[in-house]
Amino acid sequence: MSSKLTVRLWLAILLLLPATTILAQQKTVTGKITDSNNQPIAGATVSVKGSNVAAQTNAEGFFSISVPNASAVLVFTSIGYEPKELPVGTNANLTVSLKTTTSSLNEVVITGYTAQRKKDITGSVAVVEVDNMRQIPTGTPEKALQGQAAGVTIVTSGAPGSNSNIRVRGITSVGPTDPLVIIDGTPGNMHDLNVNDIESMQVLKDAGAAAIYGVRGSNGVIVITTKRGRSGKPKITYDGYVGTQRPLKEGFNIANTQETANAIQQSYLNNGLTPGNKQLGSGNTPVIPDYIFPTAAKEGDPNTNPSTYALYTNQITKANKAGTDWFHEIFKPAVITSHNLSVSSGNDRSTFYFSVGYFNQQGTLLETYLKRYSVRVNTTFNLSNKIRIGENAYVFYRQNPALPDGNQNEGNAISFSYRESPIIPVYDIKGNFAGTGSQNLGNSENPVANLRRIHDNKGNDWQINGNVFGEVDLLKHFTARTSFGGFVDNRYWAQFDYTQYENAENNKNPNAFTEYYRYNNSWTWTNTLTYSNIFGDHNIKALIGTEAIEYYLRGIYGTRNNYPITNAGNLTVDPALWTLLFGSPSGQTNGNLNINDDVTIDNNNPPTPVQSSLYSQFGRIDYNYADKYLISGTLRRDGSSVFTKDKRFGWFPSVTAGWRISRENFMTSYRWITDLKLRGGWGKLGSISNINTTNAFDLYNQSAANSFYDLIGDNNSALTGIYASQLGNLETTWEEDIITNVGIDATLLNNRLTFSLEWYKKSISGLLFRPQLAATAGGARPAFVNAGDIQNTGVDLSATYNGDISEVKYAVTGTFTSYNNKVKSLPEGIKYYDRESTGSNRFGAFSRLQPGEALGAFYGYKVIGLFQSDDDVNKSPTQEAAAPGRFKYLDANADGKISDSDRVFFGNPNPNFTAGLNLEASYKNFDFSAFFYASVGNDVINYVRYWTDFPQVFDGAVSKDAVNNSWTPTKLNAKVPRLERTANFSNTTVFNSYYLENGSFLRCKSMVIGYSVPSAKLKRFGLDRLRLYIQAANLFTITKYTGLDPELTGSDLKDNTNFGIDFGNFPSNQKNYLVGLNLSF
Amino acid sequence: MNAFMKKIALTYKLIIAFSLATLVLVIACGKGFLDKKPLGAFNPDQLVNQAGIEGLLVGAYHMVSGQGGAAQNSWGSAASNWVFGSVAADDSYKGSTPSDQGDIVPIETWAYNSNNPYFNQKWQAVYDGAQRANDVLRFLAKDTTTPATARKTMSAEARFLRGHFHFEAKKMWNNVPYVDETITAASKNTNVPNVDASGNFIDIWPKIEADFQYAIDNLPDVQPQIGRANKSAAIAYLAKALLYQHKYAQAKAQLDKLIPPAYGGSGNGQTAGGLSYQLVNFESNFNAATDNSGESVFAYQASVNDGSGTNGNYGDNLNFPNSAGPGGCCGFNNPSISLANAYKTGADGLPLFDTYNSAPNVSAPTSPYTGTLDPRIDWTMGRPGIPYFDWGPTPVNTWIRDPGTDGYFSPKKNTYAKSQQNSLSSSETSFWGPTQMDANNVNLIRFADVLLWAAECEIEVGSAEKAREYVNYIRNRAADTLGWVYKNSDYDAAAGKYKLPALTKAADKYKINPYPAGAFADKNYARKAILFERRLELAMEGHRFFDLARWDNNTGTIMAPALNAYAAAEKARPTIFAINQSATFTPKRNEYFPIPLTQIDIENATGTINLKQNTGY
Repeated sequence: MSSKLTVRLWLAILLLLPATTILAQQKTVTGKITDSNNQPIAGATVSVKGSNVAAQTNAEGFFSISVPNASAVLVFTSIGYEPKELPVGTNANLTVSLKTTTSSLNEVVITGYTAQRKKDITGSVAVVEVDNMRQIPTGTPEKALQGQAAGVTIVTSGAPGSNSNIRVRGITSVGPTDPLVIIDGTPGNMHDLNVNDIESMQVLKDAGAAAIYGVRGSNGVIVITTKRGRSGKPKITYDGYVGTQRPLKEGFNIANTQETANAIQQSYLNNGLTPGNKQLGSGNTPVIPDYIFPTAAKEGDPNTNPSTYALYTNQITKANKAGTDWFHEIFKPAVITSHNLSVSSGNDRSTFYFSVGYFNQQGTLLETYLKRYSVRVNTTFNLSNKIRIGENAYVFYRQNPALPDGNQNEGNAISFSYRESPIIPVYDIKGNFAGTGSQNLGNSENPVANLRRIHDNKGNDWQINGNVFGEVDLLKHFTARTSFGGFVDNRYWAQFDYTQYENAENNKNPNAFTEYYRYNNSWTWTNTLTYSNIFGDHNIKALIGTEAIEYYLRGIYGTRNNYPITNAGNLTVDPALWTLLFGSPSGQTNGNLNINDDVTIDNNNPPTPVQSSLYSQFGRIDYNYADKYLISGTLRRDGSSVFTKDKRFGWFPSVTAGWRISRENFMTSYRWITDLKLRGGWGKLGSISNINTTNAFDLYNQSAANSFYDLIGDNNSALTGIYASQLGNLETTWEEDIITNVGIDATLLNNRLTFSLEWYKKSISGLLFRPQLAATAGGARPAFVNAGDIQNTGVDLSATYNGDISEVKYAVTGTFTSYNNKVKSLPEGIKYYDRESTGSNRFGAFSRLQPGEALGAFYGYKVIGLFQSDDDVNKSPTQEAAAPGRFKYLDANADGKISDSDRVFFGNPNPNFTAGLNLEASYKNFDFSAFFYASVGNDVINYVRYWTDFPQVFDGAVSKDAVNNSWTPTKLNAKVPRLERTANFSNTTVFNSYYLENGSFLRCKSMVIGYSVPSAKLKRFGLDRLRLYIQAANLFTITKYTGLDPELTGSDLKDNTNFGIDFGNFPSNQKNYLVGLNLSF
Repeated sequence: MNAFMKKIALTYKLIIAFSLATLVLVIACGKGFLDKKPLGAFNPDQLVNQAGIEGLLVGAYHMVSGQGGAAQNSWGSAASNWVFGSVAADDSYKGSTPSDQGDIVPIETWAYNSNNPYFNQKWQAVYDGAQRANDVLRFLAKDTTTPATARKTMSAEARFLRGHFHFEAKKMWNNVPYVDETITAASKNTNVPNVDASGNFIDIWPKIEADFQYAIDNLPDVQPQIGRANKSAAIAYLAKALLYQHKYAQAKAQLDKLIPPAYGGSGNGQTAGGLSYQLVNFESNFNAATDNSGESVFAYQASVNDGSGTNGNYGDNLNFPNSAGPGGCCGFNNPSISLANAYKTGADGLPLFDTYNSAPNVSAPTSPYTGTLDPRIDWTMGRPGIPYFDWGPTPVNTWIRDPGTDGYFSPKKNTYAKSQQNSLSSSETSFWGPTQMDANNVNLIRFADVLLWAAECEIEVGSAEKAREYVNYIRNRAADTLGWVYKNSDYDAAAGKYKLPALTKAADKYKINPYPAGAFADKNYARKAILFERRLELAMEGHRFFDLARWDNNTGTIMAPALNAYAAAEKARPTIFAINQSATFTPKRNEYFPIPLTQIDIENATGTINLKQNTGY
């Protein structure tokens, strides 16, 4: 690309521009801007109406501006104040007093490539109250965004630094639904952004707002601007808090040792078998042994003599007769700390903002944490009145080692805490980890051991992101802007896998050490030219631009094993030896990571490196007549490298219109209506979803595990082979997303009440789908094709009421988000699509993608009760393994036989609505705020019960429900099926509605009481503000769900076909208690 | 407007012109910018040459493992067919706890649905293999540079493999599609039917035979690498295909080409490495140190510590004693009590054909069988108290994961000796269960198998005496005392034998004799003897179910009675059948598995019935 030439051209423009600034300067006006208390306002803007001429006030509120002539009108604006207009006339010196605003109508918000006054917006834009967001103690902005923006559904977990499911207006893809995030004009990731650095956040929800982002806009766009310096004296701000996070009081509902033993023994008896658990004896009543290793040994057994202790052969371990509370062995109170210091300043020539952040959240789950150190430097230089250059730079370093096996997986430590039997203590008599290694204790692992062993693992990430930009005002009405930005991200992580001598399964796996490196970068170059002008009542603003984006990702790993044991007593290896030079070179492996940072390369997870690029042109026009009739149009043409030449380019148009009814003459009598706007829009967006960047190509690969073969027959080597890895498709193009949006914005009751109500329909067609080809096509990964439609309809509502009762000022803000998701069609002829979850595949798929149903809808056999008697079995439709006390399934097709075709959709994990309620009040120097979040009507699958309600499932821990409320011939209306040894169709081997629960909840996410020291007292110390607060987060959650927390992220956040399933989720409802300090001077 | 202003206006015009020019330039240079070639993958054009096609052929051989491709690594597609060939027959139980890999329970108790994922795994693996073989043929068709001899061998190996993969499909489902090199996604013809235009099932035996015949005509006798298919292997496979069709005379003609003079034949069957076909020490067939012997006709070549993590027999990864023994997990594929009983011998050293499965049971915890046994039992299964290679005596119970439902025995043919740990077993850790990976080949055809086929042919179309001779070679090998299990000797893993000189204390009372002269005069007795011999010799090698189905030949007279008798016996024992009392094998239905529902759904999605389900499902 001829970028050199382009750069030269821009340089030429920059050099030529100073000449243009010698424009006729007929008159200079000076003055001062104050607030209603006569205090100077620093950083306020003074501009000449209808031109680009502007100036800012200094720390004392003084300004100086050149005006073309006496008929010019000056506009005075400052955030938080009502704007004011004054004709210059003959005045050479003006003192202007601005009123504090209670309306945000004139607030300028950044939308797609431009800024708009709120009242001029015709698309669907949710403006987030960033102050409210900051009240949520978390290290990641998206977690704090939950419930703050109407139309945005966020599901998150309690794991420090974990990712969340973010859905803007429903589920728009079977793949990832993460919205595009634009930070200071450059695509980025908000996950590691310091919340304190955020100045504003807007969510562009409909096509009218987001279509200018074209092929990337389908999942919505979140536009974030970070803080910049303001004119005035340097301002130093410190915000910090420290707190404690408290594990849930009640863990999983697990029975104690005796109860568990009773249940297991009963399970044998119920099947007419002699009890066969070797720990518990063969009698009808279990005998709790003194020791579990040696198996079922009694005190005094010679093999319990500590001198005979040996790992594997005689790992002497006492039975925990009371029962180990595994949940509280792994969840402990933990500290959360946040410090943020920022300095900002500016004058009419330059501004800067500098911040340093430190965030440290220790997980309540042992050994988990997120630590982040960050620095931001944002600067702007006004080279002249017409030329501005600047940069935004953010650098962070993060330590956030992964939870082994990830959140929401039946193999993680949280799941082991409900699977590991209570009879097993945490440690054996020598202080080594105890486990299932003796006999008949199940296949679980000691979760404390699993977590303690990650102590020295590494998880490091460092990234720099941001951009540099230049802006030039041309002629009277043009502004040209160029911005070059992006990110460079390096990640390094390492883990040591110990030999888990205490476990029943794979207890002799050699130890191993793996190091991972990942490099990822992207750059974006954006050029825009803006025109804005006002002719009488005609206000017009137009923009054209081009954008080029390039992306690259590569990751590698290396593993060795059989590291020298430095402590034979517990088979540990000194972390100092964890390098790839130690350990055995035979059996070492290395390779490229797949696109999801994992070592397994398969059809769903192709290997790195990957690269892609996007090139676009776009334009927008906003026109309003007399601030009354608004119309706006955008158009983008995108070209993407992931499609073939013919299918690469696409057009994405949108049109929106608004009518500010309140400006009509006939409305003037309704004094209680400050502003009322009706708006609507239509537009088209696209998505590349998660398709492979090489989708168009037929590809062949080499892979030791997939195509190498030992033709020599020497047992220890394999010839390199090649296999067809991908069937390309030249026809594939993007998903198309058409959004229709209608809304009303109103400001009523003298600015006290504002609300916005919207209805939308979002139709996604040509869904990017990897079709299932017949196996006879071979094993290569099929290309994504465009097939299938999804539709979301819904209502977003947000409202704020500001009021006061004598000296108490208060504000209530509510958001309401609903979406109704439906699969409209699938690829031709395909009736449904099942996709297994990554959390567990013991049942196959939990949900089915089928036209007419919601994405993620649960599909399986519907339990209509338990068989009550042999007679009941005989009278009921034929069902495999039917017996009293087992599940009785619905004969949906009434053919007298329970078969595959009797499976039905019995639940929907999508909520009917989610809502956020923010209450704020202040009285004198006290302030109070509370934030509530609710999710209503979402069904969840409590998969935990698969492990805890059925002793035949690996004989691990058993729930109290199974102990106290399982079916017996005398307890006919029991909830839990009969305790048994057998696993069959009528109890545990198929997915059914037994696991379904109501996942609705209401949570008090935050409650804060603050006290600000009166400013008079602070003056003496040179302080502007000193506020202290105490906070409780997640004070309570109201739910009927019987698991830990009904808020359940997907086990694979990039897959929206499986969610709302509890596989052992890190709960996000743990109480936090914090004290914090805000200080500025 | 004065001159100064004019100049300014001109400047503006220039600026605008430049700005627009910039925009246009960026647009113009956008085209090359969007051409991103795939990284880390071959472009197909790079493979149209001998090295490339040779690589594709190795990739096709890889699928003999059953692992990789669309089905990824899965137990359902194991090369050994342990689920379908052994568990679904009377060789073994699923093992572990009842719910663990619960999808196998219905297969074991013949209560499966067509959506059982195990069926689809196998289906995907075999057709993936067939298409990889087709890739070799397709690239050969495009290539003009490879020398003719190499082209000939490569195409023959590819067709041998294609025959093998289709054979796997045929024996599982009977009514299966045949996928040749014309079937490609680009041609949009991948919904390959198993029915003809009138909706009748297609029989693909002729096409399988054609593949093997092509291989016979074009493969060399000896190959540069012993893992490759050679001419003898192709002859053996063709014979197997003919035998499955009960074409005994034709099968015999092929087998006669293989059986060397040392075994009374006139053939010259040899391995790809050039070893004349022979019976070696019994255990040497199941030992990574000694596999690829003269007995190995065609095998899946497992390898460990080769950088793959999973090339070491992943499919049998669960089939190790539970907990502390070799492997460390997972107690699956436990040999059945019925199988152990089948090794009982009478005073004549011959099997107890009709009475073997009545009490007392071999190795029962209380009042076990105390009579004589065929010595092969203790190389076939880990039996309480009997030495398990150099791991010491098989412990009573502790290797059995769920003693209530798993019987008494542990698998042995696929496992390894302690002294082989980390050299012939995996020391890699790239996945969950590396210690259960080893380099034991899976014998797809071994010479003992060939001899027993020949015996079957001789009974039907040849000489009963010849048949008896063939069977007796097998029995005499088993009777070789040097190849037994001993209690007072150390195990020599490198030889697959116990060490001399102290071979005095056999691990149990072994007694095995050849069939006496004239014993096969009664054809029915002879058939029974051969069938029984196959069971004993090839137990736990994944053949049993398919042998039963072949013999039954859709008559309902052999397989259902055998397996229902088995289930009846097992229901009274500590086995999975005890808690699945309704287990019944339905004749003329369960002899073949149901075609996977997923594949039917895909292939028939557009309304045309391409894949028709097997009868009864």
